[in-house]
Order: sequence, then C-alpha cells, then structure tokens
Amino acid sequence: MPAPTTHRTIFTPPPRPEALDALHLRFDALERSSGARAIAVAVYDTETEVSFRRHAERWFHAASTIKVAILLGVYASIHHGWLVPHSRLHVRNRFRSAVDGHPFRVAADRDANSAVHDAVGKMMRVSDLALHMIATSSNLPTNLLLDLVGLDTVQRALDEFRIDGIDIRRGVEDERAFERNINNRVTADGLVQLLRLIAEERSYSPDLSRQMLDLLHAQEFRNGIPARLPAAVRVAHKTGEISTIAHDAGVVYPPDRKPYVVAILTEWSPDASARKATIAEASRAIYEVLTAENANA
Amino acid sequence: MRDPRFPLEIVDGLRLEKQLRDTLMPGRIVFDDEGHRRRLPRYFYEIPTWEHAMAIQLSPNFALWEFIQTDVREAAPLREFPRYVPCAITMTALCLERFREAADTYVHIAANGGYRSPRHSLNGNATPHSWGTAVNIYRIGDVYLDNREAIERYGALARHTLPSAWARPYGTDRGQTDDHLHIDFGFVLAMPRGAPDDHLGFDAERRVS
Repeated sequence: MPAPTTHRTIFTPPPRPEALDALHLRFDALERSSGARAIAVAVYDTETEVSFRRHAERWFHAASTIKVAILLGVYASIHHGWLVPHSRLHVRNRFRSAVDGHPFRVAADRDANSAVHDAVGKMMRVSDLALHMIATSSNLPTNLLLDLVGLDTVQRALDEFRIDGIDIRRGVEDERAFERNINNRVTADGLVQLLRLIAEERSYSPDLSRQMLDLLHAQEFRNGIPARLPAAVRVAHKTGEISTIAHDAGVVYPPDRKPYVVAILTEWSPDASARKATIAEASRAIYEVLTAENANA
Repeated sequence: MRDPRFPLEIVDGLRLEKQLRDTLMPGRIVFDDEGHRRRLPRYFYEIPTWEHAMAIQLSPNFALWEFIQTDVREAAPLREFPRYVPCAITMTALCLERFREAADTYVHIAANGGYRSPRHSLNGNATPHSWGTAVNIYRIGDVYLDNREAIERYGALARHTLPSAWARPYGTDRGQTDDHLHIDFGFVLAMPRGAPDDHLGFDAERRVS
C-alpha cells in the first residue's frame, strides 16, 4: 500500500532532549535485560527532522536486510532501461561462490517459501521475484536477481546516492564465503540512509521509489518493528535473521503525521531467545518518543 | 516462402533487417570451445506471434514454444515477435520425440534451454543452442535432473536412443553440467526445400563471414 500523500497541518513537536536522553537509557537497559550482545539503532523522523543514533556506525552482518540494497540495484537496472519489471528470468538454482566460483544451491527446506523453488526450470517476472525477495525474504529469488544485475550494479547504485554503511560482497546462502568471513555488512545509519532514499522518493524517480516502497509494505514478517505498534500504524520494512543476528529496518507511518525511518540491528549468542521481542520493544520505545503520545506525556 | 504442410515461412537471414542480422548473425563464422570454425545457420523459420508458437506442434509431444523460451538475457530483438529459429529445430524436435518415447514420460525443456541466439548473454563460444540443435532438460516426468544419478541415467538413455547425440557429462567444470541434462546433435545446418535461393552467391557468404 503506498504512503499517504496528505498529512495534518499541525506538526508534531520534536521530542524534548531529555526524552532522547531517556531513550538512550532505555536502550541501555534493554540491552542488559535482553542479553543481546549489541543493539544499534538509527532513526530519522521526516516530520520533525530529528535523528536518534545509538551505535549507528557499528557494522553488523547484514543478514537479509541486504535485500533492500539488492532491490535498489534491480531498480537501478530498470531506471537505466536494462530491465523492465515484467522482464522474465530463468529460475535456476545454481550460483557461484564469491570465494572461488564453486557452485552452490539454495536449499529449498531452508528457504522462506517454496513458490520460486517450484518454478525451477521455468521463468518468472522480475517484479514477482522482487516481491518474494522482500515480502517473504526468499533466498532463491535474491540470488537470481543479484546474479542478473550484478554486485557492481548494486554497489554503484549505493555509491551514486552516497550511501555508506552498506557493504555488499556476495549473494545469500554462500557458505564457503561465510566460512571465510566474506559477508555483506550494514550499519543502522546505512540502512536508514537507504530507506530514506526510498521513502522520500529520491531513488531514481517517485514512481520507482513507490514501487520499491510497495514491496516493503508487503512484508509478511510482522513480529519486529510493527509488533507492538498500534494497528493503525503501517510499516514498510525488511527483516534479517541468522543464528547470531536479528534486524529490522523500515519506514513507519503513524496516522496523521509524516513517517519516520528506523533501523534496529541486534547481535546475539546463537542460543539466545527473545530477539524479535527485543526489536519490538525497541520499536515501541521509539514510537512513544516520536509521536504525539510522547509529546503529551 | 511457405510449405503448405507447415505454417511457418522460411526466411533467409541475410535478407532480414540489420538489427536482426546483427543478432542472428546468419552464415557467420564463430568458434567453438575447441577453436573449430563453425558456420551459423542462415535459414530460419519466422514465428509471427506467441500464439503461433503455442499452436504449432513440431512433433506429437513438442510444440514450438518450448524451444523459444528465453529470458531477459536474450538479445532484445529476439524478445519480441516475429521471432526466428533455425530450420534445424524441426529435426531436434523429432529426436526429442524419440527420446521421450524411450523415457516413457514427459520431457521438460528448461527456459534458455532451446534456441538461443549467438547474442544471448549466457553463450560463451559457439554453442549448438544457436543452431537450434541443443536442449537443456531440467525434468523428466517427476524426476528433476539436478543430481549425478539422474543426469547420468538419462544421458546414457539419450546416447543409446539417439546415436548422434552428445550429452554433457555430470560435473561442475566447464563443459559439464550438474543441474540439467544437456543434449545436442552438433552444429547441424538445415536448408529445407522451401528455402529461398542463395541469390547472393558464394561471394556474399564470404563477405558475411
């Protein structure tokens, strides 16, 4: 669903400095109580132009949040006329490791949905693959799209918009690369820069930006940023999770105000629980500070 | 020029407009993996629409569309109609029909697994796919050909059934395959009786090569 185009004319007052200080303390406490190894947060509120940053330049394994950068690369290719959204792509489950070119596959039983695996040997539209990549975080379409547009295209797109804090080095499920510590990395700042680009419709064109945003609105994993927000709040976002990582980054649309952009990145021991609950709590804390709810407190 | 028994017109690739000539490279010399010179097909069937491709059976169990499913990696002029396929495609279909009889079940050709123009970005050196004489099969019946056992079993069946066929061995190195069965019949040129005269003559063939 696209972003609302009208907003109320009375703007939300910016949060008081002491509210932001209190938010820092709340995250300190959350980090301790949750057992997280690290919690990093970056927020930019397009209504008040207030930023909040906590360890926002710390690098994390990107997990599936890198798929937003790949999405930007796909739309760069569309913008340059190399693709159209309905271009058809051969679905083939065979990729080459970033380490040495050794072939590898995306295991169907480890992937988020089976729709793309069921199409092996056939063709699917780029737009449908992009939807599966974002909405259910499916790994097979991710590697197919990255193979198609290339790492260079994604990196050039990030460079073109001067987004630092996102380092793309390979596709997903590349175990040989993982074992050699060749990983995609992000910072909370980097993801917020990228999501602002999309939310503010500055990525290539308003129309292409809205198409990307629509895909992020289709996110099916809702137990991170949106989980503890009021039902009326819409969130366009992308999650990411591996054994020691749980992230969520997105654009939050409270009713009757402009959106804010948020990235919550967390690192854990492999046996930790409550990851998503921690992200949801962090998201709730940010919401309370930025919305009128907080201003009236 | 149209054979009344077959609804597609045969065209001389050298007479097509430049954009298509540059894509199909009719009659041009290219080199295969071993460095041998191979002359690309010059005569093509013209397919006016996707509906034609869907309707035309090249053999009892293989329709034309199955041989022209290419993705965004195909050169742009061949991603829209009319499309062109080398005339040898009909013989390939007959060979596959024989293979299907031996397999006794459905044979599924992969996307990008039938005809690919010489400009298809998956192509490296000359490949029989650009002659319309190669197919990549990803599934036979309910068996996915993505493992050694299946690829070797059906590769052996292809060689046994079709004495002139070549099937890529299983493996991950260049010239091998590990997620489909590649069968080809070599760099066969077909010139049906209905093909236009070679009006440009020998000199013209030399010129385009």
